[in-house]
Amino acid sequence: MEVSFWGESFKVNLVVGCIGGFLIAVLGSMFGFGGGPFMVPLLTVVLGLPMYLVVGSSLLAIFFNTVMGTVRHFQFGHFDLLLFCAMMPGAILAGFVGPKIAKKLSPLMVKRIAVLGLLILGVRLLF
Amino acid sequence: MNRKIALLGAALGISASMLFSGGSFAAQPVGMAAAAGPAGAVTAAGSVQISLDKTSIQNGGIIHLRGSAPAGVPVYVEVWSRRTVRADYFDTKMNKKTGNRPYILYMTNELPAYYRILVPTDRQGALETAKAKGRSWSCRAALKNCGAIEAFEAPAAIPIERYHVSVVGSVIGSRGNLLPAMSPEKDRVRAMQLLKMRFRRPDAILAPVVMTEPDGTFTAKIAVPQGSPGGTFFVRAVAGQNGVTSKTLSFQNHIAFPYVYLNVAGTSMDLFWPFLLSFVVCTFGVLMGAGGGFILNPLLVLIWPLPATVVAGTVMPTVLFSQATGIYNYSKIKFISWKLGIAIGLAMLLGGFIGPELTELITLSQFKFVFGIILILLAGLMAWQTTPGYVARNKKEKAILDQFQKKAREAAAKRAKPELETA
Repeated sequence: MEVSFWGESFKVNLVVGCIGGFLIAVLGSMFGFGGGPFMVPLLTVVLGLPMYLVVGSSLLAIFFNTVMGTVRHFQFGHFDLLLFCAMMPGAILAGFVGPKIAKKLSPLMVKRIAVLGLLILGVRLLF
Repeated sequence: MNRKIALLGAALGISASMLFSGGSFAAQPVGMAAAAGPAGAVTAAGSVQISLDKTSIQNGGIIHLRGSAPAGVPVYVEVWSRRTVRADYFDTKMNKKTGNRPYILYMTNELPAYYRILVPTDRQGALETAKAKGRSWSCRAALKNCGAIEAFEAPAAIPIERYHVSVVGSVIGSRGNLLPAMSPEKDRVRAMQLLKMRFRRPDAILAPVVMTEPDGTFTAKIAVPQGSPGGTFFVRAVAGQNGVTSKTLSFQNHIAFPYVYLNVAGTSMDLFWPFLLSFVVCTFGVLMGAGGGFILNPLLVLIWPLPATVVAGTVMPTVLFSQATGIYNYSKIKFISWKLGIAIGLAMLLGGFIGPELTELITLSQFKFVFGIILILLAGLMAWQTTPGYVARNKKEKAILDQFQKKAREAAAKRAKPELETA
């Protein structure tokens, strides 16, 4: 598929993109995460698209999964309204506070701490 | 900006009103109890009598039970809540005779949200044996070894639905074909499996606390933990193998704000903690550039006794609004390729259709295991993003991205201007 973006056009391998997106969506909706950190590398590294094309478009693609996942979870009775109401304000507040803190921190340092945290949590889940 | 604040206000308002209605809901008056008898035990030959020292507790607590039964027989006490919760169990165990795997999903909405059988103190050993088996313990065997099979009564007759799950069914997004109801005996066995899926550990179902005197009188401490459902609880004693049953008594568990009972999750909790957790984790998520779900979900199942289905189904919608805002902001400056986003989005739509059904088919330990692998993969991915080669490349990409975004913003501003002048 050909995609034109700000005066440039890119060739996209839709088969790989769709299969990858599908798998990420199955896991994402199954385990309840968005999948952005996997989607962006899929489009940039595997499909070789530039970052500026990917940031907005991957968000749009993930949004499809989030909407469908939400509807289906709701349909199966997995949605707890009170728990949602407790966590939603926290998530919205984080959207305001996060970017303010981000300016003061080195992104590289944050990533390294995140790697450590994810590893600890991951191992804790495995055993 | 204003939109976001309004949204936040609305969300807070809704949650606050929900909390209060939840609080008063939990504090419903005593009464109703189908067979709640007056306290006070009178011994009669061959019968079982019980009495409780309290009629209500506040957000969990201890109730002392006294009673009498024919001398020399073991006594079991069954305690359960009126509030019910959903549980499911996916049977994929191979049938040893035929070699077939059943692939049947058993599901109920009426498992008591709190359930416990108090067994004689001398059954401690049987309970330890079950605990030593780890995840593969069998609820039926544990009940049997503790001699408590006869006491398993309240959940034995709950309605259980059976679905035959098939690959085709999963793809078209159905739970599978609803199978006809089972015989009461089979229902009873499945109810035990559902009990295990819900309460996970043998010591969450069985407690060796019934102390019997030689003359047949017995005492037991009923410990209702914090986080148990509010409302009415029932207590009943069963003596001996032929199952002489006492009257059913009841007591109330009052839950007050900020503790609320989560209907779907079947647990009550102080809502401040999930709020704080979500805030901290999502803030960190913004910093590291990954959504909060990756960290929030595993923490939720590790900290609270929440089912994986509820965690996945409740965390997912929390990012809906932030994603929608992001898309709106990008689309304002025309920084989205709709063609690319929708093309891959349609594949993801299909994935999102299938995923939530699969959550029901895995056990909590499988959920944790796969999530653990996903997190380690993610950690690897992020570690790679901190290597010097990647950082250098990323810097260049970022500069180009900023340039494009600036251009896009200027173009958007230019388009907006003529409109202003004509207005």
